[in-house]
Amino acid sequence: MPGFDFPPFALPPQARALRGEVRAFLKDALADKPSVERARSWSGGSREFSRKLGKQGWIGMTWPKQYGGHERSYAERYVVIEELLVAGAPVGSHWVADRQSGPLLLRFGTEAQRERLLPAIAQGELCFCIGMSEPGAGSDLAAVRTRARRVDGGWKVSGQKIWTSNAQHADWMIALVRTGDAEQKHAGLSQLLVDMKSAGVTVKPIANLTGESHFNEVFLDDVFVPETMLIGAEGDGWRQVGAELAYERSGPERYLSSIRVFLEFLRVVGASPSEAERLLIGEMTARMWTLRQMSLSVVGKLAAGENPAVAAAVVKDLGTSLEQDIPRAVQAMAGPADDAFERTLSYLLQTSPSFSLRGGTREILRGIIARELGLR
Amino acid sequence: MSELRALLADTTERVLARAPGWAQVEEAGLAKVLVPESEGGFGGNWEDALIVIRACGYHAVDLPLPEAILESSGAKDKALFAAMMLAAKMAGALQAALDLSVEYTRQRQQFGKPLASFQAIQQQLAVFAEETAAANMAVAAAFRAADRDDAWFEIACAKLRANQAARVSTGIAHQVHGAMGFTAEYRLQHLTRRLWKWGSEHGNERFWSDRIGARIAERGPENFWPDLTE
Ligand SMILES: Cc1cc2nc3c(=O)[nH]c(=O)nc-3n(C[C@H](O)[C@H](O)[C@H](O)COP(=O)(O)OP(=O)(O)OC[C@H]3O[C@@H](n4cnc5c(N)ncnc54)[C@H](O)[C@@H]3O)c2cc1C
Repeated sequence: MPGFDFPPFALPPQARALRGEVRAFLKDALADKPSVERARSWSGGSREFSRKLGKQGWIGMTWPKQYGGHERSYAERYVVIEELLVAGAPVGSHWVADRQSGPLLLRFGTEAQRERLLPAIAQGELCFCIGMSEPGAGSDLAAVRTRARRVDGGWKVSGQKIWTSNAQHADWMIALVRTGDAEQKHAGLSQLLVDMKSAGVTVKPIANLTGESHFNEVFLDDVFVPETMLIGAEGDGWRQVGAELAYERSGPERYLSSIRVFLEFLRVVGASPSEAERLLIGEMTARMWTLRQMSLSVVGKLAAGENPAVAAAVVKDLGTSLEQDIPRAVQAMAGPADDAFERTLSYLLQTSPSFSLRGGTREILRGIIARELGLR
Repeated sequence: MSELRALLADTTERVLARAPGWAQVEEAGLAKVLVPESEGGFGGNWEDALIVIRACGYHAVDLPLPEAILESSGAKDKALFAAMMLAAKMAGALQAALDLSVEYTRQRQQFGKPLASFQAIQQQLAVFAEETAAANMAVAAAFRAADRDDAWFEIACAKLRANQAARVSTGIAHQVHGAMGFTAEYRLQHLTRRLWKWGSEHGNERFWSDRIGARIAERGPENFWPDLTE
């Protein structure tokens, strides 16, 4: 079954030099950043940092130069994003745009949309949010009810999105909306680019259990969206959102989110750990190394023009399990340690439950895998 | 896959699927996968050898074929490479047990429908498929590393990952098979009993975790990621 075939993929030689460049840049840019802030990973964002990365040419790396991209390989992009994640760089402002909104526009967007938005994304100037989930549409995404009604020159959109990460900072939302009848569950969906500054858009932050507000409710009250802001074809939203989710799930952020506490653990146990500590380190290392190989293999599939949706689901489910096991196992094993360690651990213990929810839950991913196995 | 490698895969499948004797294996040249063409071998590398060794696990063939291949290689650390061979057999056996479990749950009916249609079964088999993919990935990466240079770390991780996968997956395989899987007659036990045995041979989880853990700790947190991406 092709979805479970993971051929090894070796990074090309030019990736090595690039890695060195990225490391040097990050060492300098993040010099005094404390561990617990690095642990925020792609949940933390800074426009200023995104602009800096844009200047380096490290956003929109694989896109055509014509749209402000850099025509680098998927492998080179991979090197940059894994270094950013491991360093705990504040990439949140451009992460979604670089990972999925841009590629979606490149694939399905109009020429005018690409010309207008892609260069600005590549410069680190634009923040995008994902307008999929609604109060009544979580795992059952096709149940979205936000409605786009035809009016002169475009649509009027009304409804509510929820759990929308970064909506309070975002310039644009790519919203999955209903343009057809509710009876045509899948066929009635379309994707629209919603300018977050439009009249009728209200964003209300929701505090998560750590007390931080990353996600939001977004109320859309008769928001006018011009005709030109339809992505792809009307009624094609379900197929397109599937492609978007494959981009969303395919990257190394799905297994690296807890690396910070693992590194902290290595720091506090030092060079001669106890046997129990060695066993934990060995177990997690083998899992992480294997996941990196699988993640690289997904890059190989992307580079070969294949759709890695099932492979990405496999990596994401195994990866988020590792990301959740690391803080829990580290907590169980750790002796008394310093503040930097404790704060990093406590942060990741608290945030890690979200890892197997965001981007499609564990159960939904396993359902995708079961379908590939021919069980459903 | 190159044409030659595809040919090797075909031959391997044709021979090993039929519970062959040693004579047939020798005749097909499978033991000489690493032997140079000039000396009458296939002239392959470790990635080619993986095809043959993994198939020994898939078909539960106990002939000393991996040993013969290892013997013919220039590998210095025989114990380490023996662990790599075994990890490859485990990856093959896991795949076979998964295929069998999928097939069985699609055939067997309870409550008027196939077991495969129950979500509890689907979710378990999804985990099985993930673990099998992980073991196969780890093994493939280790064999590729073996062609390059010092592959201690990759081989250690591959055997450990295969052990982990076998621990999780053998339980699932038996659970979804019900009592049938617990019989001597049904094929599953030929795979799972081997997996349990191989999980102890050439290093169980403790053995490899301990060594990997010691090495990683010694290198310290600042080298962890640079080493992993070397
Ligand atoms: C930190 C975070 C950030 C997020 N950011 C965004 C964002 O930016 N944009 C956005 O659109 N969404 C976002 N989400 C929402 C996320 O996509 C949803 O949480 C997810 O799709 C699950 O939906 P739900 O929370 O409504 O859970 P539910 O769908 O209600 O599921 C609850 C539980 O039931 C299980 N379940 C549901 N259906 C089935 C089934 N058929 N079979 C078996 N089990 C089932 C689920 O797997 C889960 O375990 C975010 C979520 C989190 C936690």
